[in-house]
Amino acid sequence: MVRIDFNRLRFLVIDDNAHMRRILRTLLHGFGTREVYEAEDGAAGLEAFTHYSPDIVITDWAMPIFDGLELTQMIRQPGANANPYVPIIMLTGHSEKKRVVAARDAGITEFLAKPISAKALYQRILNIVVNPRPFIKTKTYFGPDRRRNVNPNYVGPDRRKGGKADIIKQQPLLDKAKALT
Amino acid sequence: MSRRPEDHAEAAVTKFKDYEVITPPNKLEKAVVHARPSEHYEPDPVARAEQALLTLSNDFAQWMEAECRRLDAARRKVREAGLTDAARDELFRAAHDIKGEAATFGFPLIEPVARSLCRLIEHSPEPARIPLVLLDQHVDGVRAIVHRNAQGNSERKAQVLAERLRQVTEEFLAHENRNRPGYLDEVAAPALAPDPSSG
Repeated sequence: MVRIDFNRLRFLVIDDNAHMRRILRTLLHGFGTREVYEAEDGAAGLEAFTHYSPDIVITDWAMPIFDGLELTQMIRQPGANANPYVPIIMLTGHSEKKRVVAARDAGITEFLAKPISAKALYQRILNIVVNPRPFIKTKTYFGPDRRRNVNPNYVGPDRRKGGKADIIKQQPLLDKAKALT
Repeated sequence: MSRRPEDHAEAAVTKFKDYEVITPPNKLEKAVVHARPSEHYEPDPVARAEQALLTLSNDFAQWMEAECRRLDAARRKVREAGLTDAARDELFRAAHDIKGEAATFGFPLIEPVARSLCRLIEHSPEPARIPLVLLDQHVDGVRAIVHRNAQGNSERKAQVLAERLRQVTEEFLAHENRNRPGYLDEVAAPALAPDPSSG
């Protein structure tokens, strides 16, 4: 059985809404974390990120000065800071497909749509800690591997070239079996 | 704050023609505990966090009141200055925060009204054309539902109000976006949030 020793994790919470920061802090303390740092906008968040070297960043999207998406892009600059690989959870009221894809392509690690729940937050953190993904660097993308599932039976061209993650459509196994009979 | 020893570890890089696969040092491994079921005596962390949130919930009604005041102040700025970029952003952020907090704070009925207001602001190609009365109706709707929620007797009215505001907003957006075919369909696409438990 795998569990997380939250006491060994340092969090940075970036949200311009003081109520949401308080809720996140309460949940993280409830999990057992002691070290939770806060920032109230993207600029202060970047400064806090450099100063505190958090293990996990939780950021809102819509914030003044620069938003969570821009913050993610600034953190995901290889060589520009101490830890461009830091896991980033985007916690946001935006849940449209277009937004999720934009956040993924900026290099977030996990997406968490509001309303927040203890269970959903815990699952994202558990996934980050227990199933870390490798990073991919292309000409236009640097961030966690956007292909969460690997198909060892895939045969075809390797299309990992551009900035957008390739979606490889596959014939369902059942259809293949039907075609053979 | 000084960097920790694990910050200095090197990442393993595998290079391909068009991309690199980088395996960073797993700094979070330190937090993984492999325990036998018999050793799992600690309280469930999720239940513990939910309990902690419950103790905070006494403040939620007061917090929602503060969010309503913020929304009202943003609306008044729009009334005074017009829908400038700054005034519009402020109104949008206030509505967007309420949308995200509504269920957590125990006011789920205001979520659809706040959502409709966000859509109105975000997807109007010419914000200056948004009728101020429609903005007012949304803001007043949120405030009315919050205040009546405390009385606990107006769920049906809130649902009717939210649905009517949604209809008027969608009609307005459809008209305003008539020269952007497919735009509203694209933003109306179903939510897609990856589920970490699925793989």
